[in-house]
Formats: sequence, C-alpha cells, structure tokens
Amino acid sequence: MALLQAYGFLIVLMVINALLALSLYLPLMSGQLSLASPGFYAFGGYIAAILSTRVFAPADGEPYAVGLVVLEMLIAGVASGALGVLVAIPALRLSGIYLALATIAFVEILRVVSLNLPITGQAVGIFGIPQPFGSQLGYLLLAIPLFLLAVVFVARLERVRIGRAFTAIRADELAASAMGIATGPYKVLAFALGAALAGTTGALAAHFVNTWNARQGTFDASILYLAFVLIGGSRTFVGPVVGGLVLTAVPELLRGSAQVGALPAWLEGFLSGGGRLIIFGVLLAVGTVFFPQGLVTPELLARLRRGRSRPEVAVAEAQP
Amino acid sequence: MTAPPAAPTLEVRGLTRRFGGLVAVDDVSFAVQEGEIFGLIGPNGAGKTTLFNLVTGLTPPSAGALLHRGDDITGSPPHVVAQRGIARTFQNIRLFTNLSALGNVMIGRHIHTRSGLLPGVLGFPSSRAEEEAVRERALELLDLVGLRDRAQVRAGSFPYGDQRRLEIARALALEPRVLLLDEPAAGLNTNEKAGLSRFVRELRDRFDLTVLLIEHHVPLVMGLCDRIAVLEFGRLIAVGDPAAVRSDPAVVEAYLGEET
Repeated sequence: MALLQAYGFLIVLMVINALLALSLYLPLMSGQLSLASPGFYAFGGYIAAILSTRVFAPADGEPYAVGLVVLEMLIAGVASGALGVLVAIPALRLSGIYLALATIAFVEILRVVSLNLPITGQAVGIFGIPQPFGSQLGYLLLAIPLFLLAVVFVARLERVRIGRAFTAIRADELAASAMGIATGPYKVLAFALGAALAGTTGALAAHFVNTWNARQGTFDASILYLAFVLIGGSRTFVGPVVGGLVLTAVPELLRGSAQVGALPAWLEGFLSGGGRLIIFGVLLAVGTVFFPQGLVTPELLARLRRGRSRPEVAVAEAQP
Repeated sequence: MTAPPAAPTLEVRGLTRRFGGLVAVDDVSFAVQEGEIFGLIGPNGAGKTTLFNLVTGLTPPSAGALLHRGDDITGSPPHVVAQRGIARTFQNIRLFTNLSALGNVMIGRHIHTRSGLLPGVLGFPSSRAEEEAVRERALELLDLVGLRDRAQVRAGSFPYGDQRRLEIARALALEPRVLLLDEPAAGLNTNEKAGLSRFVRELRDRFDLTVLLIEHHVPLVMGLCDRIAVLEFGRLIAVGDPAAVRSDPAVVEAYLGEET
C-alpha cells in the first residue's frame, strides 16, 4: 500500500496518458492524423477548473463532491466534442501532414487565447482547484472507470458498422466512397469522438494536478501523444493504450532506478539528471527502427489469442 | 400510340473530361439498356477508366451529363452514386488489403445497414441482429466467388485472380443494379478467362444486373458483350453489337487491326 501511495501520482498519470493516446487514436481510426488532443485536453481542463472554482465552489473546509467532478467531465466531454465538430468541418478538408499542421495550429491558438483571457487566469492560470479525494491515488476511482469505458467503447467500435466505415476510410478513402460510405461525416465523427475523450480526460486531470494554465496542452504534448500511438502501435486500440502506459512509466522508472543505491555514482547522477531523458529518447528511436508498426499489432494479438486456444487454426491462417 | 420506351439504365450525353490540356474523354454519348452486358474497349490511354470514373462520380466531368434511369446524376459524389445502386471494381484492385476477405465484403453492406454509433457499441439487440445478417450475407457472397473457406484470410495475401473475385463479391454486397467491371480479366490465365465470361453472365441473370465492362482481351469481349463501344483518344468511334464493331473500318484501323 505504501508503494501504491508513493507511486499514486505516476499510476494516475499513466492512465491519463493512455486515455490521451486513445483520443489521438480515434481520429486515426478513420485515417486522420490529428494532433489536436492536447488542445481539447486543455479546453476540458479549463471547463472543469472554471466550474469547480467559480460555479460549484465548496464552502471553506468542505470536501468537493466526486459527483460534481463526474458532472464536469460530462460537460467537458460534450463541449469538447461540439468544439471538435466545429474544428473538424474546415480542418478535414486537409489530410495527412497538412491536417497535422492545422491541428497543431489549433492547439497553439487555444494556448494563446487562454494566456490572454481573464476567465482562464491569463499567464497565472487557475489554481486551488478543489480536491474530491484525500490522496492522489484516490483519482484512480475516476480514472480507472473512465479508462475501462473508453477501452470497451473503442474495442467495440472496431467491430461494428461505424467502426468498419472508419477502417475502410483509413484503408482506402476512394474505395470506401465507392462502397457508398459518406466519408466526410464519418471523419468528422471520428475527430469529434477523439475531442470528447480528450476533453473528458482534461476535466479529470485539472482536479488531479490542482492548477491549470497555458502550459497544459502544448505542441510538446502533441508530439508525446503521437509517440504513444506510434510506439505502442497504430493499427489496434491496444497499441495506444500500451504506449501511453509504458512510455509514461519508463522515464519515472529510470529516475527511480537511480535512487536504489546499487548503481555507481556517475550513473546515478546521469540518470537523475538529464540522462534518463536521453535514454528515453534513444529507446524511442530504437523502438521505431525495430518495431516500425509499433509494439502491438493486430497480427501479434491474433497470435496471442491463437496460442491460447486453437493452435490448429494457426497453421491454416498463417498461410499467405 | 405506343408507350414511350423506358429510360435507359445508364446514359451519358456529351460527357467530357479535360486534364489540363489533355482531353481524356471527349464528348462521349451512349445509352446502356437494362440487363445489357456492355463492353468498353480501346487502346491504352483511350479514356476507358476515366469514363468509368466519371460514371461513378470519382472524377467530376468537365462537361456533359450522366443519367441513371432518367435522373440527372451529373456531379454526384461517389457515395451517392453507389447508394443509387451503381457499384464498381477497379483496374488496379482497391481492396482493403489489411482486412480479411470477410471484412471487405461486410464493408460493402454499409448502405444496407442502419446501426448508429451507440446501438452498435452498446450491442443493442437490433444492432446485433443486423450485424449477424451482414456477416451471413457476406459469407454467401464469398461462397458465390468460391472464397468462403478463406473468409478470415487477409485480403492482401490472396493471389491476383482471387483478389479480382473478392472485389466483385464486395461490389455485389451493395446489391447494385449496375455493375462496372474495370478489366476483370487482367492477370487471369486462359482457364480463368473462360470461366469469367460464364461467371459474368451468371451474375447478370441471378442479380438482374446491367453490366459495363472494360476489357483488353478482344475475344472475351466479343463473346460476352451484347453491345460494345470503342474509344480512341477519348472519342467514341463506334458503338454496336460485336459483329458490327468488328467489321467497322475505323475500329479495325484504330485497334483491332493491330491484334490480327
């Protein structure tokens, strides 16, 4: 339990980052490379921060009701989804790297706006966001259910009609339209779903980190979430989940290993200084070289499933 | 007074497409009647595939009109054309290569299914029933093209001929009234080519289809098609039944002459 308490912050952060990786994966399901997740994450966070400090603000000394956080998450999710639709309609006229650039611009616009608006606290941000839990580990009570919901949602989505339309558009947009799929609305839907998930996560994160300012949701975060998806694997939802969890943990574990005391002094210094980030960067680069499809691929999952149940089918299906 | 003849299934009027200075399809007009197998031939670069792209909405025309059963559908986007019951295959095969054969055909059922986001994700009974029906129908179509036993195999790993058949199964999943086949015999061996003629006729009869097909292999076209249109440099130089087209001097000079 002491260990859980010590690592409470990290565990919640891992789940939050896995959620954000999923939010980037959703538009990608329909082939749209969007880096807008940090923008919607920041947007959702501001909604929660403003609601909880101004509208639902508890009397002095009173704890903040968990139900209100859930309500904020819902509001933030719906608002971010709606903003996602508004952004998607013009942005999805672009595709590939140009869409990625446009979504980075969107993140940057939101950042500059929140730096200047009084309601978002300008450069100072919003601080003293009320806490519903006694410890940071308590946030798992909200983070884990949201994570499970998101995972089940995306897993189901991949197997039903709408998800198939996404998959078809990603595989070959032209062939998809020749199959009668109205590609435009489906791309907007995928984009908005990602936005809603990022916004919901942001609302939770605002309480979790206690202060919210324009340093939340920046270009750096765009690239980090993209790394989660690419290193984890971009062809099944399991990839971003694994990527988000593992890549959040690795730098902290490297930091932790420096404190064990069994390492030579120079290595300890290296790890607790900038060295662990250098190692992290090298791992990312090596990962992309040896796992160009990401750590988790649909083929890997199929192999794992077959290994457990029907080995005789494996032979038949492995044939080209 | 006699009743006016029914509107042709598909009619193109003065259809033109320019790419910069190149006129890929130049003022082409013809009508395809219900139930016909209509061939489109011509030398490489004659504009056959561009014409298919115009008919299916993938490329908007520069001029001219496209009518489906008398309705003007000029400039309709591809998904609207597909929803009207006009399905196609592609010359360079455009399967969803990472999906299974079954997955490919199931996507073809899109326009005949309704499941929304939440009913699908939450697994409502109506949605589950629809999903089951889609799977069953897709398996039937795979059976029809002889690929049912490999339903779960990745489409991209199929041999060329099987990919062509899978693409036809996927197009049939749309329950089209008009089927456009872009070089269905390309890459098939002699045996498969012979089978293809039989197969296309069978499909026409079984599904009440009107078939348009582009084909390079002249004996196959002559034996299979009710009527044939010949394109050269984007212009229509002849249209008629196989015998008439075969003896047309312009056609012989432009195309057939080189073959014999």
